[in-house]
Order: sequence, then C-alpha cells, then structure tokens
Amino acid sequence: MQTLEVLHLKKTFKLSKKQQKLEKTKTKEKVAVNDLSFVAYPGEIFGLLGPNGAGKTTCLRTISTLIKPDEGDVMVGGSSVVKDSFDVRGKIGFLTSELKLEDHFTPNYLFTYFGRLHGLEEEIIETRKTNLFKKFGIEDFKEVKVGDLSTGMKQKTSIAISLVHDPEFIIFDEPTNGLDVLTARSVTDYLLELRDNGKTVILSTHILSVVEKICDRAGIIINGKMKICDTIENIKKTNPSNDLEEIFFDLIKQEDQGGAF
Amino acid sequence: MKNIGTIFKKEFYRVISDKRLIFTAILLPGLAIYLMYSFMGDALGGELEDVMNHEMIVYVENMPSEFENFVLAAETNVIFEEYQVSEHDQLKEMILNGDVDMIIRFPENFVTDIENQEIPDVLTYYNPGEKYSSFAYDSFAGLLNAYKQSKAFALFGDAYSIFTLDSENAEHIIVNEDKATGQGFAMLLPMLIIMFLFSGAMSIGPDSIAGEKERGTIATLLITPVKRSEIAIGKVLSLSVISLFSATSSFIGIVLSLPKLMQSDGMSIDIYGASDFIMLFTVLLATVLVIVGIISVISAYAKTIKEASMLILPIYFGTIVLGMSTMFGGEAAGSFWVYMTPLYSSINIIISILTFEVDAINYFATIASSLVYVSILIFILNKLFQSEKIMFSK
Repeated sequence: MQTLEVLHLKKTFKLSKKQQKLEKTKTKEKVAVNDLSFVAYPGEIFGLLGPNGAGKTTCLRTISTLIKPDEGDVMVGGSSVVKDSFDVRGKIGFLTSELKLEDHFTPNYLFTYFGRLHGLEEEIIETRKTNLFKKFGIEDFKEVKVGDLSTGMKQKTSIAISLVHDPEFIIFDEPTNGLDVLTARSVTDYLLELRDNGKTVILSTHILSVVEKICDRAGIIINGKMKICDTIENIKKTNPSNDLEEIFFDLIKQEDQGGAF
Repeated sequence: MKNIGTIFKKEFYRVISDKRLIFTAILLPGLAIYLMYSFMGDALGGELEDVMNHEMIVYVENMPSEFENFVLAAETNVIFEEYQVSEHDQLKEMILNGDVDMIIRFPENFVTDIENQEIPDVLTYYNPGEKYSSFAYDSFAGLLNAYKQSKAFALFGDAYSIFTLDSENAEHIIVNEDKATGQGFAMLLPMLIIMFLFSGAMSIGPDSIAGEKERGTIATLLITPVKRSEIAIGKVLSLSVISLFSATSSFIGIVLSLPKLMQSDGMSIDIYGASDFIMLFTVLLATVLVIVGIISVISAYAKTIKEASMLILPIYFGTIVLGMSTMFGGEAAGSFWVYMTPLYSSINIIISILTFEVDAINYFATIASSLVYVSILIFILNKLFQSEKIMFSK
C-alpha cells in the first residue's frame, strides 16, 4: 500500500484585488487545481511537469498537508490528507523553496531538531546525519549558521533535513535549484537510489532533461488539469518528434488555443 | 509532551544563544531601568540639594533684631540686604528675573504696634515661578509664623492658646512601617511589573511567530508530525520563561534604583518574606502566560512582525492604563469579579501581596482564571496554526 494516489483533487483560491490585477481577471476565484488525479507507485520516480501557475505547487502543498483540498483527496500509503493529515506528515519527505530553515541555527542543530520532531531516537538521528551529511557534503559547514550559508549549501541542508526520518514518500519541488552541476548530480543520483530502495518519489521540475533521464512516469499539468499522464516512453510516442520538450510546448499551445475559443 | 519539550528547548536556545537578543531582551531592560531611575532620583535629589545650598538674597525693611536672631537661630542660609523704597520697582524687577529671592517689609513701628495691639501688616514679595524665590517664601512664611506665635505667647501667655496640638503626645504616629513601605511599593510596582512583562514578551513574541511566518520557517515546522497544539504550547511556554527573565531583570533594576528614586533608604524589599515572594512569583508566572498568549495569538494572526507589533501596541497601552488606574489608590479592589478579569486581576493581587492583605480566595481566583484564559488563548493559537488562510496568506 505504498502508493500515493491523488484523487479528483480540486482547490480554489480567493483572489485579492491586487491578485485580480496581476492575473488580469475580474473573477474573484481562481481554480488552481481542477479534478486532478494520478498515482505514484513505490520504486518509481513520478515527474510532475507544468508551466508556472499550472497548479503543481498547489498539488504538492495539498499532498504535504499544508493546505486542504476543496474536493477530492490524496491517499498517502493508505492515509488520507483530509482525515489523517497527522499520519501523512510522518510518511512524507517534502522539499520546496517555500519551506525555509531558520537562519540562526546550524545544519547540525536543525537536523537533530527535526529528527526529534519526527520522533526518532538520538542514535538513529546521528546515524542518519552522518550518512546524509556525507552524501551531500554538509559535513564541512554543519556548524555554520544557515544565515551564513550559500544558496546551494542551504538547499543541500534542506534536502538532508527533509529526509531525516527516512520517509517512504519523497516529494521534491525543484530540488536542484541553486545547486552546481556536481551537487545537482548527487541529488538526482540519490533520488535514483531512493527509487531503487523502493521509495515512492514525486519530482516537480522545469528541467525536462532531468525528467527524461530519471523519471519513470510523468504527468503534465496545464491550467490545473492533468493533460497527459503516462510513462516517459509512451508520452514521447504521442508526437512524431519523440521529443519531450516539443510535446510540452504543443500541449501548452493547444491549451492556449482551446482557451481562446 | 516530548514535542512540547523539543519546541520549548529550541525556542529557548534561539534566544539564549544569541548574544544580541540576550542583551536587548534580558539585560537591557534591567540596566535601562536602573540607569533611568537612578538618574531621575539623582536629578531630584540634586535639585533639592541645590535649593538647600542656595544662599537666599532677601531685601528687608525695618527688620526687628529679634526676628533676625530668630532667623539666625534657625540656621537659615540667607543674606539680608537693606530695602529702600526708592528701589522698589527695581527690586520687583530683580525678583522677576531671579536675581533677588524675596522682599520682606515690616512697618516702621512694628514692635510698638504689636505692643499696642494694633495688628501691623508685614508685606512680602516673591516669585513662585523661580525655585529659589519660592523656597525663600516657604522658609520665611514658616519663620514669620513661628515668630508670630512666639510674640503672641510672650504678650498674652497661655491666654493666647485656645488649644494645642499633640504637644505631649508621644504616640501621635501609629504606623506599621512595613505596611507603609508596602503601600509605597504597591503604588508603583504593579503597573511597572505588568509593563515589563508585556514589553519583555513584546520584544520576542512577534519574531517567534509572525517572524516565522514572514520568513517561511513555520511551514517547515507545520509539515512535521507534531500536533499544532504542541507547537502552540511549546512556543507559549518558552516565550513566557524568557519574558519572565526579562521582567526579573527589570524588577532587579527597579529594586536597586528605588532608594535613589524615592530619595529614601527605607524602601527595601527586605520587608517581604519567602511566602510573599512565592505568591508574587506564581502570580507573575500566571500573568506572563496570559500576556504571552495574547501576544502569540496576535502574532499568529498578523502577516508580518511589523503588523504584529502594531496590533499589540493598543493592548499594551490599555494594560498601562489599567496599571495606572490602581497607582494612586495603592489599594486592591475588593470585588471578587475583579479577580476573574485577565491582567486586572494580576494588578490587584500584586497590590494585595505588597500591602500584606492577600485574600486566599482572590489569590486562587487570579491564578485559576489566568490559567483558564491562557488555555483559551492556546486553543485559539492552535486553530490559527491549523488555518491555511492565516498561515499562508500573503
């Protein structure tokens, strides 16, 4: 039962006057996600694609229990984000730029702190810390305050902390943002390792080459709706070009034209 | 419970590991109060000493030598100058400018007039707008009055006295000195204590909750399997302990500077025993929980630290007004319902502790009602942490 099922998810936001101006609309509500469904299985990396404002982040925030859906549900290893949000939080490792670490503390302190909040024994926290800090090269700056770290160092720390409790479900939103090529590679390699260990991984990214390289299946969201959801191979087959980028642009174009009529 | 402890420790460590915060939130309030009150006390004392040391310049006309001896016997610090009628306007001008402190004009035949029972009128001139002149008038009005009494007694003996006042009453003053000192404390301390508790909590509360929202670190906490109520309790408890530290520092500042401020060495907290301090501490603890609860709820509601600080200010001022309302009476309210009112109950029970008049029912009502209020506030805080609209509104 280690599947992650997004079931007919719908989420609407009220728009403030300022947001109405930005969105160039007079409607007071925006449907961020509309009847969105997909399933991510253990031992696979599911790629979530979509342009800015498509609803990816809203979907990920709902999975991580930060927000509640208006309709539908997400079942994370059998636990509902609506009814058992507490259980869900213990099962997932969530990474997004929205989740910040406090500047005053060191990676070492924060790792232990979040480990404790996840109910881990001190010994397990230390073992996990040694492994993850080594894996992402955090050892050298583990006693430096987060506020004094570079963007890349912060991102590495956030990744390590999101994995402190060895979660079964890993949801990463743009994990390679701000990382140099080497570290970005170590992150994608680690995601593959997690997949091989039977974890369920959801990866949201703009980098199509990464999706092609490491994702087993992917879903493309446009305007809050799932436009296509299949294995990378099958998605590619839908277009003579056999190119993910072309397919992506075609879908956006189709949606724009559909919206125009 | 374990999570409350983890959050408490982290919030506490956040402050005590930051030298800047330790200084601004804990050490500075006490130091600032000590320096401010000591300065105020020194300034007040210095002013009095200055007036006392001033050599009064008094122009006199027809001063009887008897009165002059009277003044000298009282060791009054004065220089007498001869008054000339021709200089009257000029002297008045000098009084106005503060160059001369006073004019005393006795009628020409002052002594014989008295003997003939003709009631002569002594004329005095002074400037109440000048501190030296004002002091000179007070001194000489007293001296002239005493001189009048002694002349009357010399002329008429006991026949002059209609009655005397406490001339042989050694037990005239009946006072419990501890209680009188306590009354002095009760006028000043409750308002200051509440103010310090509030300002201590204000200096860290908004940053701990609204700041975490603003910086996006609260979301990282909210995706952990920790109950929102545990986050709320952990934060409120740690903020309360730090606010208590801050208030203790302010309290030490007041106690050390009080003798200087009151210009009296008698203002010492030695008059209170251990049980008084225990009661005071428990009331402070209950009070700080309510204050931190209020500040936490406002901080959770506000989008930014700035907004939180702005929203807290009116409540802070309201609390000061509450404190001031009891300042002049120095007496605790009697009504039971006062002890069920948040913060106002604390002010009144502090007064009764300081004046040794604690009513056990009122004391327990204060503690119990404060705990009920803080539970309600934690419940609200818990709800706010659960609300995505409140937590993630931009």
